[in-house]
Amino acid sequence: MTQTATEPTRTADGQHVLVVEGLVRRFGDLTAVDGVSFTIAPGETYGLLGPNGAGKTTTISMICGLLEPDDGSVTVLGQQMGPRKVAPKRHLGLVPQDLAIYPDLSARENLNFFGKLQGLTGTELKTRVGEVLELTGLSDRAKGPTKEFSGGMKRRLNIGIGLLHKPTLLILDEPTVGVDPQSRNAILESVENLSGEGMAVLYTTHYMEEAERLCDRIGIIDSGTLQAEGTRDELIRLIGGVDNIALTGSGDTVAVAEALRALPSVAQADAERGSLRLTVHDAPTAVAQIVTAATSSGMQLSDVQISRPNLESVFLHLTGKALRD
Amino acid sequence: MRQLGTLLTTDLIQRLRDKSVIIFAVIVPLALMGAMNLVMGDAMDMDLETATVAVSAPEDDQLATALVQTLPEIGLDVEVTETTADDVQARAESGDAKLGLVIPDGFSAALMAGEQAEITAIRGDGAGIETSVVLSVVQGFLDRAGASAVAAAAGAGLGLPPAELGEVAEQVTTGEAAISLTTGAASDEQLDPKGALVAGQAGLFLMFTVSFGVLGLLAEREFGTLARLRSMPMNPNLVVISKVLSSFVLGVVATSILLAVGGTLFGVDFGSPLPIAVLIICAVIATTSLTFIVIKLAKTSEQASIIQTILAMVLGIAGGAFFPMSGGGLLGSILDLNPVAAMIRGLGITSGGGGLADIVTPVLIMLGFAVVAMLVARLVPDRGAMA
Ligand SMILES: Nc1ncnc2c1ncn2[C@@H]1O[C@H](COP(=O)(O)OP(=O)(O)OP(=O)(O)O)[C@@H](O)[C@H]1O
Ligand SMILES: [Mg+2]
Repeated sequence: MTQTATEPTRTADGQHVLVVEGLVRRFGDLTAVDGVSFTIAPGETYGLLGPNGAGKTTTISMICGLLEPDDGSVTVLGQQMGPRKVAPKRHLGLVPQDLAIYPDLSARENLNFFGKLQGLTGTELKTRVGEVLELTGLSDRAKGPTKEFSGGMKRRLNIGIGLLHKPTLLILDEPTVGVDPQSRNAILESVENLSGEGMAVLYTTHYMEEAERLCDRIGIIDSGTLQAEGTRDELIRLIGGVDNIALTGSGDTVAVAEALRALPSVAQADAERGSLRLTVHDAPTAVAQIVTAATSSGMQLSDVQISRPNLESVFLHLTGKALRD
Repeated sequence: MRQLGTLLTTDLIQRLRDKSVIIFAVIVPLALMGAMNLVMGDAMDMDLETATVAVSAPEDDQLATALVQTLPEIGLDVEVTETTADDVQARAESGDAKLGLVIPDGFSAALMAGEQAEITAIRGDGAGIETSVVLSVVQGFLDRAGASAVAAAAGAGLGLPPAELGEVAEQVTTGEAAISLTTGAASDEQLDPKGALVAGQAGLFLMFTVSFGVLGLLAEREFGTLARLRSMPMNPNLVVISKVLSSFVLGVVATSILLAVGGTLFGVDFGSPLPIAVLIICAVIATTSLTFIVIKLAKTSEQASIIQTILAMVLGIAGGAFFPMSGGGLLGSILDLNPVAAMIRGLGITSGGGGLADIVTPVLIMLGFAVVAMLVARLVPDRGAMA
């Protein structure tokens, strides 16, 4: 079912941070997760890209030991995960999709509380809480109850709690939903920084731009199954790896199309009234030659548009539907 | 262990910041005690008055003697003076006695023969509720004596010697369950009405106070923090245990405050601190054990509040939080197995000077209740907060 574009990455000693094998979870008649398998190597950022209801949160709940899988297994640094397991949970930092903070406690109290539960004590706890407050930009709001926070501030604290104990694997479930573009950018930047420091990250989203920007590898999930996985380029190659160019202008478009088809970079050319649609290999390189050929065939160009396939088109190709409805 | 401490202290901090615990566990019950004391104060004082009864009884009459001996034991303050029939009349008319009773000669013989025996009752000046109560006890005695006379007559048919018949008749009329009023007052007979009011309200509101633990657990679910807690490296049961402990701490503190403040305000002395502390702790254990069941059943805080309110009202009312409840036989025994009733009864014992050894029964009832509640909780399928 899954179209694997690459061999799974492994560390030198062959140990993955996370190994997910054949996870299945049903809710009544609905199979929310249906045989999901993937691995995450140390320091790697892995994205789960899929629409609402694809099964991302359910998968993460099983990875973090919140839900018992009906089938399959989760291994964190070689240790079997489950709801009653304690040891493997030490390596995980979860940032749940829904806010998970106490409204009557301050940001510092929230961090202290979860830090202690993670096993931090004394000066280490104090230092880490200070660092996380700094990182999330909440240092000067550390004292007031979080119920007085703005939505974005709550989100930042929600993420900060997951980072406190410097987990080996940070799991972020759609952390940017409901956040303004500025905060969103700040969140993405801090994920990039953490990944740069060597933290492995599992990141779910239904924004393909986020997956493209952050993730080393991406798994495309829909209806509970992984439809494909690989790097961005590998995924795009799965659907043929061709670009589109649209030429707009006046002239005999049928004749121009005829002429352009002769070019080696052009796979297909369709003439419409006042415009041409081309399917080409490597549009950025080919576009100069195409524009020259079209002009010399007698076309007066008013606009040239290049569109390269993205994960959106991959998703469309794999599932027959758009990522966002 | 450290994690449990962290969970518990953070929970208590939040309970206190969200003022509702202080309001519902301490302020509201104290206000209610004050209000109920104002409303019911007069009626209670009337109960307190001594029923002075003047009786003339024929000498050497077994049943007449039994009746006279019964009067001081009916749960009210009854002062019985035995005198002659004429003096009874005089005392009742002058108001020296609120009730005069003249038991006729041959009282026992008449009853044994199944004949009508008439006791003359004279209500004196200032006769009140207590007089009516004494009268109804006398009436009850007569009714039962009539029945027993029939039993004795039937026994005679079977050939039992007359001497034994007399004993049978006496046993039936003066036996354990003779007069329901005495059993009815058993659960609070040692507490005066104000003491019963304070203890009853403390018991009732304890049921609400311990429910804050369940509400705390459901709040974790609503805040989304329950998921995060379950992703932490610790035994997931610690979350539930910390909430139950939090209920326990709040219950002990609130009940202690209610009994101390209520006792001071209304001038009630519940007795020595150690047995009181034991009673409070056992009552909190019993009521907290119910939260294990509520945790299994309630999915939302609304559901939890409803279940807890039903439990509180049923156990509170049956336990005598508003007025003493009584019942004979099976119903009475069931009512007595209630932690609120047991606490009120226990406080009655301590207020009468009872020590640790005297409160064994209420303590066992409360601990037994806790054990049963925990067993039931294990059997209830999990569809609540932790499901
Ligand atoms: N506790 C539950 N009970 C019943 N059905 C559930 C439960 N949790 C999830 N589901 C169903 O499982 C499917 C997958 O849900 P899930 O939350 O994993 O999706 P998701 O990919 O995280 O979606 P979103 O992007 O909206 O967060 C959905 O159809 C959802 O309705
Ligand atoms: Mg989700």
